[in-house]
Amino acid sequence: MRNLLNFLAKYNNLIIFLILEGIALYLLSTGNNYHNTRVVKGMRGITRGVEQRINNTKSYFRLKEINQELAAENTSLKSTLENLKNKEDLLFFSVSDTVYRQQYTYSLARVIDNSVNKQKNFFTINKGGKHGLSVDMAVTSAEGIAGVIVGCSENFSVVMSLLNLDFRISARIKSNGYFGSLNWDGRNYKYAVLSEIPQHVPVSVGDTIETTGFSAIFPEGIIIGTVSDFENPGGDFYKIEVLLNADFKRLHFVNVIGNMQKAEQLQLENTFQ
Amino acid sequence: MINSILRYGLIFIILMLLQVLLFNNIEFSGYVNPYIYIMFILLLPCEISSWMLLIIAFFTGLTVDLFCGSPGMHASATVLAGFVRPHVMRLISPRDGYEPGSDPSMIIYGFKWFLIYTLIIVLIHHTALFYLEVFRLTDFFRTLLRVILSSLFSVTFIILLEYTRKGK
Repeated sequence: MRNLLNFLAKYNNLIIFLILEGIALYLLSTGNNYHNTRVVKGMRGITRGVEQRINNTKSYFRLKEINQELAAENTSLKSTLENLKNKEDLLFFSVSDTVYRQQYTYSLARVIDNSVNKQKNFFTINKGGKHGLSVDMAVTSAEGIAGVIVGCSENFSVVMSLLNLDFRISARIKSNGYFGSLNWDGRNYKYAVLSEIPQHVPVSVGDTIETTGFSAIFPEGIIIGTVSDFENPGGDFYKIEVLLNADFKRLHFVNVIGNMQKAEQLQLENTFQ
Repeated sequence: MINSILRYGLIFIILMLLQVLLFNNIEFSGYVNPYIYIMFILLLPCEISSWMLLIIAFFTGLTVDLFCGSPGMHASATVLAGFVRPHVMRLISPRDGYEPGSDPSMIIYGFKWFLIYTLIIVLIHHTALFYLEVFRLTDFFRTLLRVILSSLFSVTFIILLEYTRKGK
């Protein structure tokens, strides 16, 4: 017993160090889905107020830009609407069911906390479970894809940004339809890397890259960016550098997209896999 | 005693505000992310007991984690920094030892001593932090570059802050 006490007295710093380091690493290891860790969830509530205040100040200085972005988006939506109105087949059936043939739901949210300078970036939006958002919904900005929701609380959601080493999405070249996998390499917030495109496919700088819709998270055909450079690292596949369309540094208003048929698709796919 | 607790409380708040409001928002490039809050660990009194230092370091790191949304990452790097601090101080102690009841400040121990002291601890802290952040060894040298560049910036800012502190 005395030996034990002596031992503890001698190494008490090391022991405290190991205990604290253990707690920290435990928090870190549950960190990838940290929004689920109770402790942190509770404590994040305190900092959220500060974050929102910082963001309010920031957005005040950018009001003019934001207005212009919204106006531009409005115009493009109006022209799409005009196209749809003129489609003849729409005139011939009246729909009483409001979700008839509708696959995706859209809702607008505001980014209240964002970063681009880490290796694993997340951002927070000001809508949550109360507004019908849930985990695995897609998030896009007016310019292109932005991320996927990984955690929801009552009023807020945390989104894994495309600028996260753990983020992967299936993407294709618009002109020829060949698809590969897109992720961020952690270097520059303006570029991502598209891999798994075979060598025989014609690729040229400026080609548009868009989503495939295979994952049941993102709808098909949402623009991600354009090819800015490609190289042949040896092997059978290209390494294509994609200039992202969305400017993550200025992310402000985002659309959250929910897939109403996701459960059905996944269930069917699971029975065969 | 009360006085020094108040003083350190003030330093803590100022450093946290600087870190959260200013330095976390510097998006110069992915390579430069200065973390100056570690200065709080540097400035604690010379004679503080090691266990106290570790516990203070843990909660300092945890506070930054809350604002960065990365539980445990800063806490674990800061605890490591707190753990090595007494060893670093012993290693580079001035010829006639540390004055009882003093802080490790630039006025007392000089610029060169403070620079070496800051550099070693910031490098250890940043190395732990950035490798924990990516949590993989691919792109080892790119992470190393981030560590070195960010450390240089952090050390520069800490030295500058120490100069302004001296002025008061």
